[in-house]
Amino acid sequence: MIQAQSLTKTYGKKTAVDGVDFTVQPGKVTGFLGPNGAGKSTTMRMIVGLDRPTEGEVTVNGKLYREHRAPLREVGVLLDAKAVHTGRSANNHLLAMAATHGIPASRVREVIELTGLESVARKRVGGFSLGMGQRLGIAAALLGDPATLILDEPVNGLDPEGVQWVRHLVRQLAAEGRTVLLSSHLMSEMAQTADHIIVLGRGRVIADAPVADIISRATSSTVRVRSPHSKHLATLLARPDVTVTNIEQDLLEIVGVTAPEIGDQAARAGIVLHELTTLSASLEEAYMNLTQNDVEYRTGQPAALAGAAATDATGPALQEVSR
Amino acid sequence: MTTTTHSHSAAPVPAQARASFIPAGSRSGLTFGGILRSEWIKLWSVRSTAWSYAMVVLISLGMAAIMSMALDLQGGASLAVDEQAGLLVQASTFGVFFGQLVVAVLGVLVISGEYSTGMIKSTLTAAPGRLGALWGKAAVLFVTTFVVGVVATVGSFLVASPIMAQDGLSANLFDGAVILPLLGGALFLALLSVVSLGIGTILRSSAGGIAAALGVVLLLPIVLGMIPAQWAMDLLPYTISNAGMGIMGLGGMGPESFEPWQNLLIVLGWLAVSLAGAAILLKRRDA
Repeated sequence: MIQAQSLTKTYGKKTAVDGVDFTVQPGKVTGFLGPNGAGKSTTMRMIVGLDRPTEGEVTVNGKLYREHRAPLREVGVLLDAKAVHTGRSANNHLLAMAATHGIPASRVREVIELTGLESVARKRVGGFSLGMGQRLGIAAALLGDPATLILDEPVNGLDPEGVQWVRHLVRQLAAEGRTVLLSSHLMSEMAQTADHIIVLGRGRVIADAPVADIISRATSSTVRVRSPHSKHLATLLARPDVTVTNIEQDLLEIVGVTAPEIGDQAARAGIVLHELTTLSASLEEAYMNLTQNDVEYRTGQPAALAGAAATDATGPALQEVSR
Repeated sequence: MTTTTHSHSAAPVPAQARASFIPAGSRSGLTFGGILRSEWIKLWSVRSTAWSYAMVVLISLGMAAIMSMALDLQGGASLAVDEQAGLLVQASTFGVFFGQLVVAVLGVLVISGEYSTGMIKSTLTAAPGRLGALWGKAAVLFVTTFVVGVVATVGSFLVASPIMAQDGLSANLFDGAVILPLLGGALFLALLSVVSLGIGTILRSSAGGIAAALGVVLLLPIVLGMIPAQWAMDLLPYTISNAGMGIMGLGGMGPESFEPWQNLLIVLGWLAVSLAGAAILLKRRDA
C-alpha cells in the first residue's frame, strides 16, 4: 500500500506536484495517468526517495521508503530504462543490485529468464534496444520479489508481444496480492491493464476511481441527430443545460438530453429524423475531457484544423496527449 | 467510439493481501557488507577500471626502468646506505607522479559515470540512505587503489634494484627508509582516488569532475608557483600533489619542509573536505 499525504514538489518557481493525496491499494493494478509533465514521474521518484518532497510525505506499507530494512524487497521500481551504466553487462548490473541486499545469484538468473534476457545478459547494456532496456529495468524491479511494484511507462519501446507480456505480468503480480502502480500517458494501455486509475494533471489529482467510474464520471454521452429540420429541432431543445453543436447542415450533436427525449420531442413537433444515435465515449475521450485543461505542453494547432473535430470541448489539447 | 474496453474485471483478488514478501526469518536485507560487495562488482564490471589500474602499474614499472638506467653512477657502492636507499626509492616512486593523474580520473569516473548513465538512480534506490553508497564506493576504491599502488611501487623497486645493482647500488626492501616511502606512495594514490570520488560526487559530471580533479592536482601548484607573493609560496606545500610527494619523503619544499606524517595529515585534510562536501550534497540534493 502506498499512501501520499499533501505531497508537494516544487522546482524553483515551478510546482511539479501540488498537494497530492492518494492511496494505492494492494491486490489491484493502479494506473497513474496524465499528460506529459503532469507529475507522474516526480511522484514516483518521491515514493522511492530519489526526490525529496517539498511538503507532505509518501509512505510504502506505513514507512518512508528509506526506513525499510530491505528496500529492494519491499519496493521494486522501474523509473526509466536508462538507470543502468551503459558499460556494464545486464548480468553484472543485476548482480551488483542483488549484492546490496544479499539476494542470491540464483534469483538474478531467475529474473533474467523471466524477462527473456538470457541471450543478451552478458552483453553491455549500451548496445541494448529500448525494449531490452525496459526488460532489464523490469528484471531489476522484480529482483527482490517485492510486495510493491512501481513501473513508470513500462511498455515504452516494447514490441506488441512485450506489451502483452507486461500486461499479463502486472495482472498476475496484482493477483498475488501485491501493490502495483504503473504510469502511462496512453489511456488505451490503462484501459487494458488497470483496475483503478488516478488521473494527474498539472500536479494535481483530477480523478481517483475505478476505471468504469472514471468513464461514466467524465463523459456526458452525446446524441447525434440527423434531420432535415435540424434548426427547428435545435431551437426546440434549447435549454441552459443542453449543448447543441451544429456539425453539418443537417447534423447535430447534442449533450444534456437523452436520445428518447429527443425522439419524443421531435415526434410531437412533427420533425422527421434520419438518424438518432447515442455516442458513449471511450476511455480515451474520458481522459481527454478530464485533462483538457491540465495539459502542460500544448501543441499549437491552427484553429481551422481543430474545428474539424467540430466540438470545441475537445479542442487543441488532444494532439499532445494522444500522440 | 466504443464503450469501455475493460476486459479483465474478473481477475481474482485475494482476500488477504500480502503485506510483505520477505520470507519469515530471512536474513537478507540491506547491509553495509552488501553495499561493499555491490560496489566491488560495479568497480570491476566496467572496462575503465582495469585499464586505469593497468596504466598505473605499467607507467610506474616503465618509469622505474628508465630512471634507473638513466642514472649513471660509477661506484655507487661508495655512497652512504641511506643515500643508496634514497636513490632507489626515487626511481621506484617516480611513476606515482603520473599514476596520480590516472587515479584522479578513475576516482571521478566511479561516481560521475553513474550520473551520466542514470545508474545513480538504481544505486540510490538500492541504498536509499545514500551515505552508505558513498562510503561503500570510497572504501572499495581506497583499498583497491592502495593494493594496486603497492604492486606498482614495490614492483618498481624490484625492477629498479637489479638495474641499479650494476652501478653497485643496493637497498633492502624491508628497510624502513625503503618500504615506508613505497607504501606512502601507494597510500597517496589511494587517498587521492577517494578525494577525486568526492569531487565527482559534488560536480556529478565526468567532464567537470575530471577537469576539477586534474586542476587541483596539476594546475594548482603551478598557478601558486607563478604568483609572485609570499602567501602563494606559503600555500604551496599544502597543495595535495606536493603534500602527496612529501608523504614519500620527496620534493621537500625548502628548508622547513614537512615530515611525511605531516604531509599525510595535509592529504587527509583534503580528503575530509572533499568527502564532507560530497556527503552533504549527496544527502541533500535530489538524485
